[in-house]
Amino acid sequence: MNLGQLAWRNIKGNAFRSWVVFLCAMVVAGFSLSAVMIIRGAEDSLRLALNRLGADIIVVPEGAETKVETALLMGKPVKVWMPQENLDKIARIPGVAVASPQLYLSSLSNASCCSVSEMFMVAFDPKTDFTIEPWLKQKLGHELRLGESVGGSNVFTPEGEENIKLYGYFITLKGNLTSTGTGLDQTMFLTFETAQDVARISKTRAERPLEIPANSISAALVKVQPGSDPRSVALDIMQKVPGVTPIESPNMFQTFRQQIMGLLRGMLLILSITLVLSLVLISLIFSMAANERRRELGVLRALGATRGFVFQSILAEAVMLAVDGGAVGIALACLATFLFRDLLVRSLGIPFLLPSLPSLVTLIGGGLVLALSGVTLAALIPAFKISRQDPALAMRE
Amino acid sequence: MIALRNVTKTYQVSKEIAVMAVRGVSLNVERGEFVIVTGRSGSGKTTVLNLAAGLVKPTSGEVCLGDVNLWSLADREQSLLRNRKIGFVFQFPSLLPSLTVLENVALPTIFGTNHRGQDPYERAAELLDMVGLSDKLSAYPRQLSAGQQQRVVIARALIGPPEVLLADEPTSNLDEQTEHEIMDLFRDIHTQTGVTVVLVTHTSQLVSYGTRAIEMASGVIVNHQI
Repeated sequence: MNLGQLAWRNIKGNAFRSWVVFLCAMVVAGFSLSAVMIIRGAEDSLRLALNRLGADIIVVPEGAETKVETALLMGKPVKVWMPQENLDKIARIPGVAVASPQLYLSSLSNASCCSVSEMFMVAFDPKTDFTIEPWLKQKLGHELRLGESVGGSNVFTPEGEENIKLYGYFITLKGNLTSTGTGLDQTMFLTFETAQDVARISKTRAERPLEIPANSISAALVKVQPGSDPRSVALDIMQKVPGVTPIESPNMFQTFRQQIMGLLRGMLLILSITLVLSLVLISLIFSMAANERRRELGVLRALGATRGFVFQSILAEAVMLAVDGGAVGIALACLATFLFRDLLVRSLGIPFLLPSLPSLVTLIGGGLVLALSGVTLAALIPAFKISRQDPALAMRE
Repeated sequence: MIALRNVTKTYQVSKEIAVMAVRGVSLNVERGEFVIVTGRSGSGKTTVLNLAAGLVKPTSGEVCLGDVNLWSLADREQSLLRNRKIGFVFQFPSLLPSLTVLENVALPTIFGTNHRGQDPYERAAELLDMVGLSDKLSAYPRQLSAGQQQRVVIARALIGPPEVLLADEPTSNLDEQTEHEIMDLFRDIHTQTGVTVVLVTHTSQLVSYGTRAIEMASGVIVNHQI
């Protein structure tokens, strides 16, 4: 038998105390991991969404900022329009390299003419687009043809069918973009030409026609010239193009950033309270256990255990419980986050992307270190005190 | 073997109150002796035993085991010395409840006991056989009677094997018949192994088991009997 085995037997022999410490470690590790996963998942999601759009500035109709952001992040369809002539005005502003128009459309809700209900659809102009085109050239090797589309990572052709039916029009899904954890994953991308064709066909085949107002666009994605300041360009757009709001890339999704910050503050507060309460509880439990076991630990000293051994044996129990509890907490947190990620997105109203494997390993390590250091810290003072006590006095009490 | 030279031990109960448990005691226990220390409650006999084991630091005086002054050693060395040379039998139930009987007996070996290369569990089984508990190796302390538990404690004290066996009122919680069985066991162990025994008891009738008896009262030795 060695110190570790002795500690393990003591853990098994003191079921109630062990369970409480185990549960504390589980809660601390599990909750901290969940909190960090959610916050990082939301931040990663925002970052990827911005990268996906690839624009320095997004110009939307005045007052439609939040609607457009919600559509792009949460996949909630939006109908906003501005005159197409705005695009020419924007393109002429000094510092603008490219201005590419987009149409924001939606499939019908629970209609037999649409195989997907209320899907957000983005139509783009292949001549100027810089969001989808680079991906298309790399993955497909050609531009989208009439009747073709690409989808976010969660857009699929219905089982047993070859095409997606929208407004009675059959669209071929040519590929899927990588996941961003945002509404872009549930969004279909198609060319202006296909969108117009869908609108034309829908008049005779759909329950309700797809209406695209003439000479209108929903948004303009702007790339500024190298060396130009996106902020100055955005100010210029605001001054020279009435009725629009330019959103600079760093300010994009501001509402969601504030939501995430609020969530972060709330979670940090709960985490701090949980951590402090757990540490106090664990410290109390180890103090009580040390008192209960004074005689037993005095006997160990009489049998030849050094102060160091007594100290280490108590810490070994704490470490074992922290590792076990922490591991279970982490496993539960991972499982719950994975299983309930959709519910999470809906209830918190923020985008979410599961972390990559290397990132997850780092987070798991962090959660374990937190549980381990917390429990060990809480057990440190009781372990030190009991190891320093006079063995003869301890045995008399 | 054990030498207490003019040893005093004062316990500071509070800032104002100090209790002198042992007053200037000098005692020599020779190798192979079986010394019985008697006295009423509070006479200082348990303190003398704890002083001899190095479990209590004397307020003044010297405690030596062999040629070594126990309090000249660091904690690690003192613990190792205690582990290798002293076997302890306590008044109270002192077995670890989460360990089996066999594991309890082998327990001191994890603190560095030199058990002459023999497998500690094999030796523990031999000792349990010697104390008549060879059928209880896998039992837990709670499954044993008080007398059986004390036999296990005696087996544990012998695992070293020790040069000195210190027993603090080992029969105080036992009925009369079991008390005599345990004392017979001590006598047999002393006779068979030649180990030095110092046994503290408040029962003066047990002095016949020893080779020497000492009586204590109010922290001093009041009577030596050979």
